[in-house]
Amino acid sequence: MNQLVVETKNLNFSYSKNKKDIEDLELRVPKGSIYGFLGPNGSGKSTTIRLILGLLKKNSGTVALFGELFNGQSRLKVLNKVGGLIENPSLYEHLNAIDNLKISANYRQKISSSRIFEVLEIVNLTNAKNKRVKEYSLGMKQRLGLAISLLSNPELIILDEPTNGLDPKGIIEMRTLIKDLNKKFGTTIFISSHLLSEIEKTCTHVGIIRNGKMLYQDTVASLKESKETNIKFEIEVDKPIEGMSVLKNLKIENISLLDGFIQIEVKSKNEITDVIDVLRTDRINIYQVSIKNNLEELFLSLTEN
Amino acid sequence: MSAILYYTASLKNELIKLKRTFAFWLTIISAVLFPILFIVAYIFEHETLVPAAGINPWEKFMVTQIENSTPFFIPMFIVLITSLIMQIEHKSLGIKHLFALPVPKSSIYFGKLSIVILAIMVTYLYYYIAILLSGVLLGFVYPDLGFLNFSPEHLRYIKILITSFVASFGIIGIQFWLSFRFKNFVIPLGFGMFLAIIGIIVSQAPQQSIYFPYSFSVLSVSLGEKMPLIFGISSVTIFSIMCFLITSVLGYLNIKKLNIK
Repeated sequence: MNQLVVETKNLNFSYSKNKKDIEDLELRVPKGSIYGFLGPNGSGKSTTIRLILGLLKKNSGTVALFGELFNGQSRLKVLNKVGGLIENPSLYEHLNAIDNLKISANYRQKISSSRIFEVLEIVNLTNAKNKRVKEYSLGMKQRLGLAISLLSNPELIILDEPTNGLDPKGIIEMRTLIKDLNKKFGTTIFISSHLLSEIEKTCTHVGIIRNGKMLYQDTVASLKESKETNIKFEIEVDKPIEGMSVLKNLKIENISLLDGFIQIEVKSKNEITDVIDVLRTDRINIYQVSIKNNLEELFLSLTEN
Repeated sequence: MSAILYYTASLKNELIKLKRTFAFWLTIISAVLFPILFIVAYIFEHETLVPAAGINPWEKFMVTQIENSTPFFIPMFIVLITSLIMQIEHKSLGIKHLFALPVPKSSIYFGKLSIVILAIMVTYLYYYIAILLSGVLLGFVYPDLGFLNFSPEHLRYIKILITSFVASFGIIGIQFWLSFRFKNFVIPLGFGMFLAIIGIIVSQAPQQSIYFPYSFSVLSVSLGEKMPLIFGISSVTIFSIMCFLITSVLGYLNIKKLNIK
């Protein structure tokens, strides 16, 4: 797991002179990981991906893929092991799925025609293979884009916002697909997203970027641990004001009322039961209790000023 | 993998991409446009167009058609077809995908450029076939026009067409570069159409316009015998090929370094 598939050092890039779009970015994607690249819209995720693939000329710094510096000489060799889906998939809408795959297969060479049908099967598009892409739904296009990136059995797949515009079913399918690829073939997968829940459910590693700077980079597990001391939860009750005054006796420090919900922070899960007991003894009706996502808070606190 | 393999793969793909596109149909439409107009003209005027005895009707039919329409039309056709072929790529956001593939950027640039040239050549071929067919058709409908009694001097007309094609070469390099560089259809199209019209106007002053690529197509026909020669070759031909070579190489060097957003 120590080998790095993607490694950038002091990566700098700007579209215009007066603003740095990527600043001293140190990205480290371990082999075999599912790396979630997280950041709000416009934080530099797509720019970083374009820099990794050599679509943009970096101002300074280095990009190494599979331990090899990415430059004019190594470009073809390195890209041979990469499959990418950059933002909206590049598809020829007047052609059908097979033609679209054939084009990429021809460019890459050495790809058998049976592989085209294989990847169609993987992304579940076999039934729509002869339909023009024009008639596809957004989710189908996204899946075809993924199929194209799978063609060459790449060691690294880079997916830029792969679930953008997908419906819940499509998101779940995409998630399963990504995990399967990683598990079955050991493919390293690099996903960018602005949705924390996505990354949390799929990824093993996470990097959080804002304004072109890396704010946090580690495994998802250690990100969770770093915030696990306090548990935040909220309760919906029929009489929130009464509830607040009753709870004051419990000597909980962090308690507040927000949009009719009581917000409480406790140290252990057992204390949640205590809170419920106190409320129920006073015959206050409880409609729901939910633990708030710590990661979400962390993400917001990291990405907001 | 050798460069030839990359190049042929690129060519093959460009042909697949042309399937069912307007660019494909435009080659056919453009080729039959003038022959159809000439059929109509000959139908209405056929009595006045009956040739004197022993005169080959093909000569007038071919030469008026080729010399009076093609030189003006070809530059505009090149502007349009080049933009359309590149637009297939821009519309599908293809360039970012192509440039992230393990393929030399040169094979993509020159593969596409070759297809543009091929499309133009094919249009010339269709055009020539369409003129011949329209002449034969007129010969059947109006036997007194005499088209069936004579055969056309193919070599002579093909030579005129080749001269016109080579003279248009220069602007292919420019238009292709612009169309590749700018996603927005309007830039290469507007720029090209504007210069094509300017080219027709300034061709009235051949001494100056002999250095202006957009005039070459008209000059190649209008100058006739007065064409200045360089080493015995028409100077328009030489300037046109030079312009093509320079702009193609510069275009490639520019595209290669471009940031793909």
